[in-house]
Amino acid sequence: MIAAKRGVMRMILKRAVIAGMAMLTLLAGTAAPAFDVASVHGPKVRDLYMVIYRDPDAQVLALEKGDLAILGDITRPVDVERLSNNPDVSLSIARGFHIFFLGFNLREFPWNDPDIRKAVSASIPRTRFVRELFSGYCTPVDTYLPPVSPYYEPDVTTHDYDPANARQMLEQAGWKWNGDDVLVSPETGEALEPVTILSPTANSAPTTAEMSNRIASALVQLGIPVTVDPYDFSTMLKRLDRHDFDLFVLAWSLTRDPDNLFAFFHSSMDVEGGYNIQGLHDPDVDRVTEELRWAPDRPSAEKAASQAQKLLSEKNPWVPIYSRFMIAAVRNDWKGVVATKATAADNIWTLLNAEPASGKMRPLSWCLPEEPRSLNPLATGSAYDWQVLGLIYDGMIAVEPETLEDIPWLAVWWKTETVKGDDGPRTRLTFSLREGVKWHDGKPFTSDDVKGTLLFLKEHKIPRYFDMVRDLESVETPDDLTLIVDMSTVSYWHLHNVGGCPVFPAHILKDITDWQSWKPADLDNPVETGLTALVGTGPFVFREYRAGEYVHLTRFEDFWMLKEH
Amino acid sequence: MRSYWFRRIAGAAGVLLLVVCVNFFLFRLMPGDAVSSIVDPRFSPEAKAELRNLFGLDQPVCTQFLIYVRRMLTFDFGLSFLSQQPVWGEIKSRLPNTVALLGSAMLLSAALGTWLGVQAARRRGGRLERLVLFSGSVSFSFPSFFVQLVLLLGLAYWLPLFPLRGSVSIPPPTGALAAALDYAWHLALPAASLVMLGFGSWAIYVRNLMVKALGDDYVLAARARGLSERSIVWRHAFRTTLPPIVTIFLLSLPGVLSGAVITETVFSLHGVGKFLLDSILGHDYPAAGAAFYMLALVTVAANLAADAAYRLADPRIRLGRNGGD
Amino acid sequence: MIAVTAAGILGPMMFSEPASTSVARPFAPPLWASGDAPPPLRVTLSGNETETAFEWRWDAPETITLTGDVLFSSPPASSSLELVLPDGGRVTLAGLDGARRRHIDIDGRDLDFRERLGLSPFDDAMKLLFPRNGRYRLVITGDIPPEQVEIELSAPGGAWGFLGTDQRGRDVFHLLLLGVRVSLLVGISATLLASFIGLSAGLTSGYVGGAFDSLVMRLVDLLLSIPVLPILMVIVGIWGRGLWQLVLVLGLFSWMGSARTIRSMVLSLREACYVENLRSIGAPTRYILFRHLLPEALPLLLATVTLGVPGAILAEAGLSFLGLSDPRIISWGRMLHEAHGFGAFTAGAWWLILPPGLGIALICLIFLDIGRALEEKADPRLSAGGRR
Repeated sequence: MIAAKRGVMRMILKRAVIAGMAMLTLLAGTAAPAFDVASVHGPKVRDLYMVIYRDPDAQVLALEKGDLAILGDITRPVDVERLSNNPDVSLSIARGFHIFFLGFNLREFPWNDPDIRKAVSASIPRTRFVRELFSGYCTPVDTYLPPVSPYYEPDVTTHDYDPANARQMLEQAGWKWNGDDVLVSPETGEALEPVTILSPTANSAPTTAEMSNRIASALVQLGIPVTVDPYDFSTMLKRLDRHDFDLFVLAWSLTRDPDNLFAFFHSSMDVEGGYNIQGLHDPDVDRVTEELRWAPDRPSAEKAASQAQKLLSEKNPWVPIYSRFMIAAVRNDWKGVVATKATAADNIWTLLNAEPASGKMRPLSWCLPEEPRSLNPLATGSAYDWQVLGLIYDGMIAVEPETLEDIPWLAVWWKTETVKGDDGPRTRLTFSLREGVKWHDGKPFTSDDVKGTLLFLKEHKIPRYFDMVRDLESVETPDDLTLIVDMSTVSYWHLHNVGGCPVFPAHILKDITDWQSWKPADLDNPVETGLTALVGTGPFVFREYRAGEYVHLTRFEDFWMLKEH
Repeated sequence: MRSYWFRRIAGAAGVLLLVVCVNFFLFRLMPGDAVSSIVDPRFSPEAKAELRNLFGLDQPVCTQFLIYVRRMLTFDFGLSFLSQQPVWGEIKSRLPNTVALLGSAMLLSAALGTWLGVQAARRRGGRLERLVLFSGSVSFSFPSFFVQLVLLLGLAYWLPLFPLRGSVSIPPPTGALAAALDYAWHLALPAASLVMLGFGSWAIYVRNLMVKALGDDYVLAARARGLSERSIVWRHAFRTTLPPIVTIFLLSLPGVLSGAVITETVFSLHGVGKFLLDSILGHDYPAAGAAFYMLALVTVAANLAADAAYRLADPRIRLGRNGGD
Repeated sequence: MIAVTAAGILGPMMFSEPASTSVARPFAPPLWASGDAPPPLRVTLSGNETETAFEWRWDAPETITLTGDVLFSSPPASSSLELVLPDGGRVTLAGLDGARRRHIDIDGRDLDFRERLGLSPFDDAMKLLFPRNGRYRLVITGDIPPEQVEIELSAPGGAWGFLGTDQRGRDVFHLLLLGVRVSLLVGISATLLASFIGLSAGLTSGYVGGAFDSLVMRLVDLLLSIPVLPILMVIVGIWGRGLWQLVLVLGLFSWMGSARTIRSMVLSLREACYVENLRSIGAPTRYILFRHLLPEALPLLLATVTLGVPGAILAEAGLSFLGLSDPRIISWGRMLHEAHGFGAFTAGAWWLILPPGLGIALICLIFLDIGRALEEKADPRLSAGGRR
């Protein structure tokens, strides 16, 4: 689940939103599959309320009192301890697709000095931080993909905490310390200027702010005069976009695919507002990430991902620090909860499968930690909007919650092939769509809807989906249930990009004049009165958004999964 | 009479003008790019253009100010940075809760405080009076969020008598009466906490006024004439204390509004006060300015309304005598 | 009052370390309310010791830290570091086989430690390690004895100090005393500023009268109609959260009350005979203002100042609670903000919640009390004990 609670600093990757949001679970595991996707025929619950609780104390109290049934993304250790002692509640834990790191501004001195970066990496006591700040509910990491990723490469250069060694390393490279124990550069002969770490404020992210303070102390010990510069998060993002910083701390929530390494580290992504915030320009890294981004198949993708991680761990553009565990709590008066080693309980499978442990069917309450801002699937990147939208819209391919394999969703069959084009080889994706799928307003789902979606996203250059459809060349619909997509390049990720894209109804899209201010939840549905324009093919139908209180959804009685037996 | 109203309305307009000026200049005097206080870089080019037009950002400051005043008067507040939605829509959805909370809290604390003050004045030197004086100080001194947090924990969690948050139960009750009762039940704890914190000052003030009033000569005369105690207290002495009480009622509004911000935060009520806090913390300047303006507007409107009601009620005014202002 | 001020000024000197250091485990209850909370534990093995024992008569500690090194002459086939429980049960803390030199760095909260003990990630390993009172032994077992051992098993104490610790393990009592300073500082400076402005405005406006008076009174009315906390929030949100900015803003928005009081007093005094006399002999306005009216106004001003301090303290507390204050400065409102945000309620840490709140109330009560007394003395004509 894309976690974006206040306690976690993250920027949502466009792809993370899209690929992940058709299925809210996007975590992999290597445990033996105890969960069988085929056994799920849901949803069983008829009313779903996503109740807005912004205050962590209130969330925990509500769960204990019974006002909430599911609470996800629990970060404070006190909450975990308290809930683990409560017999009415079950906790589940899963490794997160999450990395928290310290970033350098590689365009500036001294961060462009590789020795300094290595020394910094060896000066951060990751394990101690994790223990003290998170009571063990995080993994200290020194890698560029989280351990849970299927492309994780364990055999990389790591930097264990060894401050003495760090100093020694710098000494050998010619660095000295002056009377104030500040490092003196061998080239310029001058002491380092004071620098700052850009960090979110303690209000919005207390543990991150605390972490920044401790990192600053550790670096001062090394001889770098660092202070923490707390910023409101959105203002911090603006400064990061403008590259106006020395050091920064940030966290990313990622997906099962590793091609985000291209976005983070390829030199072409070092633009204002681009994902290569730190400004890495390294030809070797460029080459390897290009190979990764346009890998033609899985084996070459794996090879490129492995090479990329090894290379990055030598170059140290970041200092990765920890990867979070996702912890969710569910009341025991509900059964059918799906939680595996790979995914915590707050996922779509639980929503599809859950029913009261005893007694009559009743509404299910799930905590929404922040107000969904606009419920505009085209424009919003907020994880809270997607917590709702992900229940309404489907993609063609979904993700198995344990193995991370592709499973059929709106498409029952697909084929990836490389065909010859005028300018070279290109990827051709063929999808065979599921029969009998309907939109919430009753209209039948056809290949025209997918075609309409893809072309709309490309034509309007909608930023959040841009990378997905950038290489889209043409879409053919030989019949209502077949789709052929031609891309202009070859890449193993095209399948996931296109397959994971949410599908919007063509009959609604055609009426949109300004996609940015489109508010489907406020518009009437042209086909069925009583519904809004916020209709999809997903398991739940949007009914009401009561600002400040809740979002109400009901079961889609014609959901395709309900009809399968 | 007419001139009185003219002055009152001019005064109200003055307050609003002051607020608008504060908003306008404050956000432009900020360190950093003043324009980015209106137009967030994350907006689409179309939205940016629209907002530049809306606020006349390419024009000289005087023109900008006039445009801003016009926008404020027509509630055209621009787009929120955080939600990219019109600010007015956001505020509109929050006004009912704030007004309901404030209205009920003010009326209840005024009523309770006044009644206690009168009773305390009647029984001078008694236990009730001492209690009232003491509770007045105490209720003023306790920080509101502290009291509210304790109340929330005690009466909504340990003894689950009240809801933990929000203004509506889930699932929402059907039927107008049930919905109204549910709403009242949700607002009960926040309003009660505001009353608890507010009645004390009322009680003390009213007590003092009544003490003075009851000591006046005409009261002595009334007693000599054999009028009942109740009649003396309520129909005579209390009447003379009404004008200052109403004045204070009006003056206490800004204070209660401040309490509303904290109350809405603690009880997770979807109100304008909380919106103000969120906007400020999120550097959403258009929204923050708008929220502040709305709060001032509510204050001014309530002032005028209460004043009108009072003047209608007091026969001395109605009959045209100088009510003293 | 004196006790509070003295406590605020002298109290923090009692502490040798700055308030920001972590002294004990987070959310540790106070010593006097701790029941069976354990004292700190420290057990070592050094040299070539393979066994040491300790008594345990309390609740399980929050966690243990096990660090050190073990050196063998040659890699042992099977060896481990174990904790022997009073009933004879044995728990393997760390495996030592297969390597000649072994470095140990274990924290009882580590998830892999819990996993190795066969526990779920949410189980408390300490319950397994410290199930009952009795005699515990830390032993190294194996086929060959170690050559050199340097191992420490430690556990933090369960309770601390007079008022326990907060979420970072800082001493709450220390923080509380530091908060006195902030409250007093902000309250008094802001009110002094407000009173200074109010005094000037009230004196001149009351004495001079006419258009100037009307102008000032209109301004007073205007400012009184603006809700204080919202405008404070807006200004602090934009101009920054420093302490002095706060004092300035508070002062600028609270002078109206004292201005009115002073003005009404001046108005009544203006007609007094001696003032008439002074005017008739040609005394300049300034002289009258400063040498006569001002001293008359002072007792009332003092009362007003004292009565205004609680308002300023409460405003600062409110802003801090909402998170709009400088995070590096520890005030009582800030403590409550952190208690709210970091889960003091969930953890049941009443020692974090009650003292700051009660402290604010207490200081305000004290000032109100003194203020009322001063006011009664200054002007018995004003309603006794009543100010709104």
